[in-house]
Amino acid sequence: MTAGPETAMHQEPVLAPERGVTRRLLRYMKPHTRTLAGAFVLLGVATAADVLGPILLKIFIDGYLMPRRFPIRPILTLAIAYSGLLAVSALFNYWQLFTFQRVALRIIQRLRVDLFGHLQRLGLAYFDGTPAGALVSRATNDTEAIKDLYVSVLSTFVQNGFLLVGIYIAMFALDVRLAVFCLGIAPVILLIMAVYRRQSSRIYQLTRRELARLNARLNESLQGMYVIQAMRQERRMRTEFGEINEAYRRLRMRNVHLNGLLLRPMVDVVYFLALMLVLSFFGLASRSTVVNVGVLYAFVNYLERFFEPINQMMMRLGSFQQATVAAARVFQLMDEQDVAPGAGGAAQGPAQGPAQGPAIEDGLVTFDRVSFSYDGRTDVLRDISFTAKPGQTVALVGHTGSGKSTVASLLLRFYPVTRGRISIDGVSLDDFGNEELRRKVGLVLQDPFLFVGDVRGNIRLGDDDISDAEIEEAARFVGADRVVGRLPGGYGEPVAERGVKFSGGERQLFAFARTMARQPRILVLDEATASVDTETEEVIQEALARMRMGRTTIAIAHRLSTIQDADLILVLHRGEIVERGTHRELIGQGGLYHAMYLLQQGGSSARAAGGTGQ
Amino acid sequence: MRVFFELMWFFKQHKWRYISGIALLLAVAALNLIPPHAVGVVVNELGSRTLTRGALFFWLYVIAGTAVLSYALRYSWRMLLFGAAMRLAAELRRKLYEHFVRMAPQFYHDHRVGDLMAHATNDVQAVEMVGTEGILMLVDSIATGVAVTLTMVLTISWQMTVVALLPMPIIAYATSKYGKKLHERFHGAQRAFSELNEKVQENISGVRVIRAFGQEEAENRAFAELSQSVVDRNVAVARIDSLFDPTIQLVVGLSYVLSVAAGSYFVVRGHLTVGALIAFTMYLGQLIWPMLAFGWLFNIVERGRASNDRITTLLAAPATVVDRVGARDETPTGDISYAVRSFHYPDTTAQVLRDIAFTLPRGRTLGVVGRTGAGKSTLLRLLLREFDVQDGDIRIGGDSVYDVTLAGLRRAIAYVPQDHYLFSATVAENIAFAAPAARMEDIRNAARSAGIAEDIERFPDGYGTLVGERGVTLSGGQKQRISIARALLLDAEILILDDALSAVDAKTEALILDSLRAQRSGRTTLIATHRLSAVEHADLILTLDGGRVAEAGTHDELRRFGGLYEAMYQRQQLESLVEAGGATA
Repeated sequence: MTAGPETAMHQEPVLAPERGVTRRLLRYMKPHTRTLAGAFVLLGVATAADVLGPILLKIFIDGYLMPRRFPIRPILTLAIAYSGLLAVSALFNYWQLFTFQRVALRIIQRLRVDLFGHLQRLGLAYFDGTPAGALVSRATNDTEAIKDLYVSVLSTFVQNGFLLVGIYIAMFALDVRLAVFCLGIAPVILLIMAVYRRQSSRIYQLTRRELARLNARLNESLQGMYVIQAMRQERRMRTEFGEINEAYRRLRMRNVHLNGLLLRPMVDVVYFLALMLVLSFFGLASRSTVVNVGVLYAFVNYLERFFEPINQMMMRLGSFQQATVAAARVFQLMDEQDVAPGAGGAAQGPAQGPAQGPAIEDGLVTFDRVSFSYDGRTDVLRDISFTAKPGQTVALVGHTGSGKSTVASLLLRFYPVTRGRISIDGVSLDDFGNEELRRKVGLVLQDPFLFVGDVRGNIRLGDDDISDAEIEEAARFVGADRVVGRLPGGYGEPVAERGVKFSGGERQLFAFARTMARQPRILVLDEATASVDTETEEVIQEALARMRMGRTTIAIAHRLSTIQDADLILVLHRGEIVERGTHRELIGQGGLYHAMYLLQQGGSSARAAGGTGQ
Repeated sequence: MRVFFELMWFFKQHKWRYISGIALLLAVAALNLIPPHAVGVVVNELGSRTLTRGALFFWLYVIAGTAVLSYALRYSWRMLLFGAAMRLAAELRRKLYEHFVRMAPQFYHDHRVGDLMAHATNDVQAVEMVGTEGILMLVDSIATGVAVTLTMVLTISWQMTVVALLPMPIIAYATSKYGKKLHERFHGAQRAFSELNEKVQENISGVRVIRAFGQEEAENRAFAELSQSVVDRNVAVARIDSLFDPTIQLVVGLSYVLSVAAGSYFVVRGHLTVGALIAFTMYLGQLIWPMLAFGWLFNIVERGRASNDRITTLLAAPATVVDRVGARDETPTGDISYAVRSFHYPDTTAQVLRDIAFTLPRGRTLGVVGRTGAGKSTLLRLLLREFDVQDGDIRIGGDSVYDVTLAGLRRAIAYVPQDHYLFSATVAENIAFAAPAARMEDIRNAARSAGIAEDIERFPDGYGTLVGERGVTLSGGQKQRISIARALLLDAEILILDDALSAVDAKTEALILDSLRAQRSGRTTLIATHRLSAVEHADLILTLDGGRVAEAGTHDELRRFGGLYEAMYQRQQLESLVEAGGATA
């Protein structure tokens, strides 16, 4: 456990902060351009109304209070105007704040939907190598970290940018020297920003990567908690989690440290320096010329105002940086090119219509010199060739790890075939649309995965075309109705995460029904009968016989008894077909199959077999 | 504001951090009053042309000194206060993790992984905000508010101040009202985030099934729906959230109008100069910031409280399987005897086991058979105390499993669960999961006994190959055998194999069972299985039917008995006979 995170997680590259990230983030605003423009108008009006209020007060004080004249009408007008401005400002501010938040939420939703959609297209190989926790963290937490950018960072930057320009123009009007002087401050601030961005970008990346590691560890612990507890590893796991937790905290402290060194405190130092420069300039000049105190006062006053928007922006710089880093992570996943093999061997969107592409009619399956490797180093399949004619059953046998399951994975196009060719009805596997392939090729997995919901939903699995009657029919077909009958809620019985409340056999039965509800043309049975009790299995064997009737079947079984009537049996050994033929032929050959057969006989029924005088 | 009290345990733990941090924060505020004063003096002396070079430099040094000092202090309070908040977050995550580790399987039936993850990420973050921005706003709004108000009272007029403050209760009323609503809605928003997390988690865990059934589109739709719900609930939050600032703005505006009206009255009456009134409105302007900060404070605090509630609720879930009072920390040893009158899972009333009574002498092997859902797995998991028996007892060597500590009990047992789980680590680390210090030689031996050694040697990096979520793809049978090796390495007195050979073929099964028999003589083994061949040599076989022991005995006895076991046996034989017939006929 200790070396795991070191070796794997640290391979995740630290991305160079990409210029493209900001551009892509801006692109997500495009559909909301008008709303955002409206929000900025609201913001502008509200700010203007805010600025106008004090002017009305000034009119009142100068025009009426000073001369002690209080005519009702004009004063009432002023009061109403003031209240009106106040109301407008408050109302527009509300809309402005609300709009920015709503747009931000929509943009984040879009990002999430895009990311999730991309996950649906990624190849299984990607999931094999990436912890679930890390992916979940990207899809939800990293996208959440971008939200601030659109809620507050953007509006703060735009608003204060305008303010800065406004103040600068005012300064120009007041005194050119002042304006030129303040122009000199800009490079200093920009330099601080640049240094901060460079330094913080790295630390933020490290922080988010550590967070991903923390989440992955937490996720894995939660999933494997029963093992941790049964093996009494609670203390060790706590310690290890504590270490990651602490490492994460330390990285975040580096962030606080950097923010404390370079953001607000540093800007304040610049402000004080500017103040000192102004004072010494005027103070020293006063020795030779008469200094206009009013100008000095205005100078100081504007200097203070000049720094206000700068401080506002600097305050958001941290959020901006964090959002950029989180976005880089999100986009990196979106750019992941390891997509699932689809039609034409290319990446394919799920939007592709069902009507496109060739259809699977007869179910003639051909493997032609197929070799395959998961990691590019070790071949798990070598030169596999066979043909399953329509309606035939081809069985794959061999001990665990011989590559049987990989054959099924390839036929289901879970992984791209790079060497050799797989075809159905003479058409290359690559040419079929996803929809067609998934509907016509039915799989029963060795690890029956149940989804949260109810039994009915688990058989239907999102396909609304399947009626309740068809679900019950499918359940009856595989004998799952017996299990359902025992459940208090029947087909509506809730299923918890991963179906933990059901036994392996029960889960298996539901998975059978799930496949049968779709009436596939080709059936892939992956060690399907391994964990069902004898009685249940008998029911299933009958169902399987019925299911196989008229369907091409690729069966992967441990027990030779289940496949002895197969039209073709392939014996795999270390990824190669070492024997092929029917049960009788293979027994006659006296090779590996025969040996396995004898072993099975010996294992479960040596005495019985002996008794029948074999 | 209640959340500050709810988090008091943490503030107390770090009270010096907080006290010194807040003191520095206030010191910075005080320091910042110096430069304006310096500017004032310099401007005045410039105006009256009395500024000497020495005085100018004196004040310049004062400003420089202030700059350096306030830079240091600003940096320090940030490290202190923000640092404390980071600690708070880490502490919450630690608490959650320790809690998770204590929770029995029932907890994991009730809570989904994605939901638990959301608590540890999003909710912790919202609580952390209370520790950073929350504290900052609290101190800032109170300090600035009090300072400005005092200045108004002392330098202008207390009557004016009272008038100006008249509308302020509206802010207090409105923010607490909004706060309550925000609290509820934020709760909803966080729940929606949890659901989103759960969805992604499930989608990734079930990716193979989703692909195999072409459910990508349905998943996309479901996700879009859930993310829409996240948007909707957060928009509901934003509706309230956006009310804070404008409301405060309105009230402060009202306060302006009142002050000017009252001020004018005082001016006319001669109690106040116009200059004082202008100064007063300027001070009032300085009150806007602390008021806004007050609004944000409420906002942050209510979010934090909602999340803290969620975390607290989760932490309050009682550990259902715990050490009983007076439990001894001993490793039990000896005969295993079950006397379970009935057992049902905590959240249902349906009885899963009834009247289970048997004794298995130390060193013997128990086989548990029966059809799917008969209660085989439950029977074994009770020994491990994954769940506690409501009515009855289980003893090891005469001691109830409830009289020893959980750790003690589990020291005695090596368990191979039905659902194998491998961690993201090397093969060797996975096998040595329960004994991280194990020697490589022992690891190899365990792997050999589990019949996986040959496979491991064929892996690209042998025992150093990464498995688990980000490792190589293993078949179900390979994972199962690594899981068995993991248990064998422990060499515990009791070994539980819960349908642990289902995904290995008959040849491997025979091999594993042989090595078990050879190595585990004198130690107790419990096997639940569908394949009768695995329990043929067991000393005691229980046939479960509907949660009851239908038959008990050895293989031969049960066969002679001619009941359920014999029927199952015949059925399995039939297959073999058919097979044999197919071969010879």
